[in-house]
Amino acid sequence: MTTTTVAAKKRNVRINGCVAAAQAAKYADVDVITAYPIRPYTATMMALAQMVANGELDAEYIVADSEHSQLSIAHGASSSGARVFTGSSGVGVQFAYELYSPISGSRMPVQMMIADRTLDPPGDFGSEHTDALSTRDMGWLMGWSCDAQEAFDNHLMGYRIGEDPRVLLPQMVCQDGFFVSHITTDCELPDSGQVNEFLPPYKHPYPLDPRHPVSHGPQIMPEQGPPLQLERARAMEGSVPVIEEVHEAFAQIFGRRYDPWIEEFMTDGADVVFFMQGGHAVTARHAIRHMRQRGANVGLVRLRTIRPYPTDRVMNVLSKFKVVGVIETNMGLGSVSSGGSLYAEACGALYESDKRPLVLSFMAGMGGEAIVLKEFYWMTQKMLDAQKRGAIEKRTHWVGFEE
Amino acid sequence: MSTKGTHIPDWLQVPFAGITPAPSQTKGQDLFPTGNWRSIRPVYRDKMPPCNNACGTNEKIQGYLDLVKRGKYLDAYALIKEDMPFPSVTGRVCYHPCEQACNRGQHDEAISIRAVERFLGDLGQALPKDVVVAGPPTGKTVAVVGSGPAGHSAAYQLARLGYSVTILEKSPKAGGLNRGGIPDWVLPQHVLDREIERLVELGVTIQTNTEVGKDVTWDALKNNYDACVLAVGLTEPNSVRADGEDKGGVHYGLPFLRDIGMGTSTVKLGPRVAVIGGGNTAIDCAREAFRQGAQEVTMITVESNTQEMPCVPEDLHDMLEEGVELMHGFAMTAVRGNGTVDALELHPARFTGAINASPIAVNREVAGVNFPVDQVIIAVGQHPSLQWLPAEFKNERGTIAVDAFGRLGNTNFFAAGDIVQIGSGQPLMVVNAVGDGKRVAFNVDRVLRGERLEPRAIPIDVITDLKRMNMTYFPHFPRVAQEMLQAASRRRTQDEVIQAYSEEQAVEEANRCFSCGTCNACDNCYLVCPEPCIVRPERSNGLYKILVDYCKGCRVCIEECPTGCLEGVPELDFDTGVVRMDTAFAITQGLHGRQAKELRELPNLPAKDIENWR
Repeated sequence: MTTTTVAAKKRNVRINGCVAAAQAAKYADVDVITAYPIRPYTATMMALAQMVANGELDAEYIVADSEHSQLSIAHGASSSGARVFTGSSGVGVQFAYELYSPISGSRMPVQMMIADRTLDPPGDFGSEHTDALSTRDMGWLMGWSCDAQEAFDNHLMGYRIGEDPRVLLPQMVCQDGFFVSHITTDCELPDSGQVNEFLPPYKHPYPLDPRHPVSHGPQIMPEQGPPLQLERARAMEGSVPVIEEVHEAFAQIFGRRYDPWIEEFMTDGADVVFFMQGGHAVTARHAIRHMRQRGANVGLVRLRTIRPYPTDRVMNVLSKFKVVGVIETNMGLGSVSSGGSLYAEACGALYESDKRPLVLSFMAGMGGEAIVLKEFYWMTQKMLDAQKRGAIEKRTHWVGFEE
Repeated sequence: MSTKGTHIPDWLQVPFAGITPAPSQTKGQDLFPTGNWRSIRPVYRDKMPPCNNACGTNEKIQGYLDLVKRGKYLDAYALIKEDMPFPSVTGRVCYHPCEQACNRGQHDEAISIRAVERFLGDLGQALPKDVVVAGPPTGKTVAVVGSGPAGHSAAYQLARLGYSVTILEKSPKAGGLNRGGIPDWVLPQHVLDREIERLVELGVTIQTNTEVGKDVTWDALKNNYDACVLAVGLTEPNSVRADGEDKGGVHYGLPFLRDIGMGTSTVKLGPRVAVIGGGNTAIDCAREAFRQGAQEVTMITVESNTQEMPCVPEDLHDMLEEGVELMHGFAMTAVRGNGTVDALELHPARFTGAINASPIAVNREVAGVNFPVDQVIIAVGQHPSLQWLPAEFKNERGTIAVDAFGRLGNTNFFAAGDIVQIGSGQPLMVVNAVGDGKRVAFNVDRVLRGERLEPRAIPIDVITDLKRMNMTYFPHFPRVAQEMLQAASRRRTQDEVIQAYSEEQAVEEANRCFSCGTCNACDNCYLVCPEPCIVRPERSNGLYKILVDYCKGCRVCIEECPTGCLEGVPELDFDTGVVRMDTAFAITQGLHGRQAKELRELPNLPAKDIENWR
């Protein structure tokens, strides 16, 4: 793919998460963008459309007739060797569901931005992680950002991780709708030279090319399915060291260092912690500072990457505490906790631990509602009660609906 | 790390993400054949085209039309010669049941098969050396009595099989009915002569002026030859048993034509001629009468209309075009005149039962019609003359008694042609006699090789339903007409009435052929297969191959096969030597392949275990 990088100087801007994602795509000099509108991620595509129209970005901008087509086009474009950016929200993510396994199974490093939106019914614009989380086992790398800067950085790192020849997997770079996608925060946009240094051009080993024909996605015999699935599992697991390498390289070049898996906030000496993903962590940090001042030993463990899931890391970190409160922000109707699906992820990691904490699940931030400070205090109290009692009252609490 | 310690065995190694060379590339689908989607597989299974089936000698008509399409005239000629010794003759005289059966007739107009056959026959005539050769000598001899269509055909096939064949012909010239029963303006003498030359070139000895029972005895045939084929035909004209039939000026159809054909005719026709009879010979006689000088020719038939006449409709049409008058519903009851013919007495008559197959009832209660004529030609069929035949071999119809194979008891005598078929229901036509001669020749061969004669029990699938083909591929296109001499001029000459096709016309007409039920290498399957799993080593009939391992059974090739040759066969009907699983997996080298190998060993296990296994 030809690249015409637009030279840009490092600068500090105030942008929202959607624009940050668009900026990352521009810096990554994507070749193909496939779009179909749905709130709230639409703002990203609006920003990219402007960039392409203004000549800031040289890319094919394809408006599909549905999310299914959008992802199909992304799949084909990626197969031909293009760096592809796409995205969606809520039911749009669901409508493209068929494509998630084929894209990852054919090892195409498509990048998809997701600004979460509650699934229908009824129509609800607010953020809830269920849209993306429902695809979590489809073979895509997946993680949540909590602000515009992290979103920008995660998008950039996503390309380098996914396109690494040892990985070749698609990425879902997720952010909460509204809380991240539409709230403007400080963001440092890098010098384009830094990006050139960090992100090499994309090169698939077997692109579709009429001059060198290959067959993608053939029919296979049933006995050929298991080895191919095993290879996919190996690819997912093989991405772990690459993710760590890339985060290190990112820190070297851009000066921002992230733990690729888990952010620990004020966990020193903590007895109880929140375990959560996404933008509500920003409020959580604020609440935790308050409560620490009042003597509650509470902290935050924020999961940054859910696929591949850092099982051992989660076990080791959460085992340090007495009580873990999982803030779901997703629906897991009839699931293990009868609340959300993150509870099972946390408990699964803890099962083999010698020091298992008590685990609670909080149904909070549902339907796009903010998790207000008062609710963090309430949840902390529930955790402290459990710590004192040495037992949980019940697995799942619907925050705001209980005394 | 769940994948830690995993190992993929060599035989299940897969390339990165299953990405393989394109299907069109060498080994493009070696690794990933179809899987288990297919429940039916496409199979090229040629049907019997209706033309081939209708032909009296089962010429491979579709086959030679297809070769003509491709300009392979010599191959086409060689193909026709497998079943037909003289295509130049049948290309002119045949009543072409093939064209009546032609599926194209349901679509627009039947293929003019006879005209293409004539084109090929004439091409063969022009060859310095025929393409047909005698078979390796068997050292055995066969006598064939009669050189008409059946005898010619039997002698020809026997010579090709390596027998030393001698034809015994009563007349001074060989040809039998081909020479004696067909006028020159239909079949010129030189065409027939050339075909008889070809037979001699094949090593067949023809003894003319040799009549069985007179010049050669039954015992001589029996003792001097290893086998004998009696193809003596029907030589004696039938009478209508009218009063005064013995008068001068009363002629009989076949002898009338035969004498003209042999060049020994002394008949001088007056201006008014009547022909009695409504069959093909009667039509030939009526038309010949004009050429022999008659001014008015009337055909008198018992049949009450033209539809009932047992003749080829287009010959009837040509006859009427030449000016022959028709009188239906009358029988000749007397010939009036003093020594010669002055007039005929006609009475109304009708068949008492089935047309042409029941006795005739003549109504003598009304006064007879006086019909003045100068000559009358009676053409109401022939009967055999078999005084020389041992009584034990005669049947109740007065012909030769043969079994289903044309054999006389357990002897090495066989009989073929009209002498056998009269009264059997089979039309007494040249092509039927040729087919009869051919089949009998093969039976002679079997007997002389000591094999048993057994009926062939292979069911024939004749494709006559256009729904079995894909008619969207066949736009309507009219038949290429053969040029004809003008009616007014032709009735005074012996020139051929129907003109030959040019090469372009022959190809154009052959191009109309549907190739019903038969692969004609149209490439459609090759083009429409979405995989593609149809292999075409070269563009040629029957050379397509389906890589069934890659075929998903989508049926596109079957649906889009114009000719209906491709058909879908349920997977489980196949027995390829492996025990198939109920789900019809294609057996490959993989896991299922292994399983299939184990399944193949099942018969060694006790029956109960087999049940548990499945």
